[in-house]
Amino acid sequence: MKPKHQRLTLVGLAVAAVLGASGLALSALQGEAAFFYAPSDVAKAAPPVDRAVRLGGMVAPGSIQRQPDGVTIAFTVTDGAAQVPVRFSGIAPDLFKENSGVVAEGRFRPDGSFVADNLLAKHDERYMPPEVAGKMHKSETLEP
Amino acid sequence: MPTLHAFANPTRFLSIARPLTPVLLALGAALLLFGSWAGLTQTPPDYLQGETVRILYIHVPTAWLGMGGWTGIAVSSIVYLVWRHPLAAIAARAVALPGAVFAGLCLATGSIWGRPTWGTWWQWDGRLTSMLLLFFVYLAYLALSRADAERDGDGRIPALFGIAGTALLPIIRYSVIWWRTLHQGPSITLTKSSVDNSILWPLGFTLAGFSLLFVAIVLMRMRADLARIKVEARMRRMAAA
Amino acid sequence: MNPWPFVIGAYALTLGGTAAMAAAAWIAMRRAEGQAERQRKK
Repeated sequence: MKPKHQRLTLVGLAVAAVLGASGLALSALQGEAAFFYAPSDVAKAAPPVDRAVRLGGMVAPGSIQRQPDGVTIAFTVTDGAAQVPVRFSGIAPDLFKENSGVVAEGRFRPDGSFVADNLLAKHDERYMPPEVAGKMHKSETLEP
Repeated sequence: MPTLHAFANPTRFLSIARPLTPVLLALGAALLLFGSWAGLTQTPPDYLQGETVRILYIHVPTAWLGMGGWTGIAVSSIVYLVWRHPLAAIAARAVALPGAVFAGLCLATGSIWGRPTWGTWWQWDGRLTSMLLLFFVYLAYLALSRADAERDGDGRIPALFGIAGTALLPIIRYSVIWWRTLHQGPSITLTKSSVDNSILWPLGFTLAGFSLLFVAIVLMRMRADLARIKVEARMRRMAAA
Repeated sequence: MNPWPFVIGAYALTLGGTAAMAAAAWIAMRRAEGQAERQRKK
């Protein structure tokens, strides 16, 4: 093999390796995304029971209830179209609030409710000082 | 293209780069320090995140420069492959390290920001994963260009790699729209910003400061590379004589 | 959760990292250009 062809083969291999690695990572991401459910996905098709998945949506207003044991929280995740009741025992992040985004990691139960092992707060792309926020959404409260 | 070659001439390049380096360093440091001071003390906290939002002023510039660095590598690589100008290959090599460092700092500051706001240091989210991939691609490029230089290669393989890696940039850009798992959507696009002006303004200073420092570091690395090449060429001539 | 340790940590890491990188590039450049200059004078 001529040196030039050798170099060309090397280039081809390098490019193929990069594309392959990107493809693998992206398909892994696709797989991750497949385990991501919104409440209306759950309404359309029954979710897998007892498999680790993630449920994302908004915490429904007025739905957070602290249970008497002091560590368990019950609340409802909604995406406007459907709702899923969720239970979580542990420490919720500071940004976990009603009317705010949440990603719950855990499992669905046969009755369609969700038991979370972990709660992540999701926020949107808007940033503003409290005064501006207060003017924009008077109904929202800044208290946790 | 006579104009391009005039700028690509090493002597001409050095006559511009020498006086420019200290100016960029001083101005970049001043803008960055002012922007950081303003971002830490002069802006209101966010309505939802509170004081944590201040990480924005350093996280966003490192993210943009991490991606901008790869754009620089890709453009230099195309110029090198098409016009065969050695200065373009030197520029691409000089960009790779600061680009990798900024991509790494973006991941680190993002992780530090994620803990108090999202409640996690890391998630296999689309944006986070694609940015981590860019960081690894930088490391691969650094290894590849070093190996190529050591074997007296012609720099074509790193250049092709630099162009191929560009595929990641649109993936990072649109990752928050394709996989809406945890990272929020784009706050600042060419046409609009969903960051209130009272919070946004120091970002302009830190972004300008980081950018000037980035250019200064690239110029310094190019000057070092040119000097090393000169020394090696002279030693070879002396050995041959 | 007190946000300040996170904010200060992020700033220290980023500003320190950028400064260290600039300093390393400066030292490497001075060394390489100094070597070229000494060799030219010989």
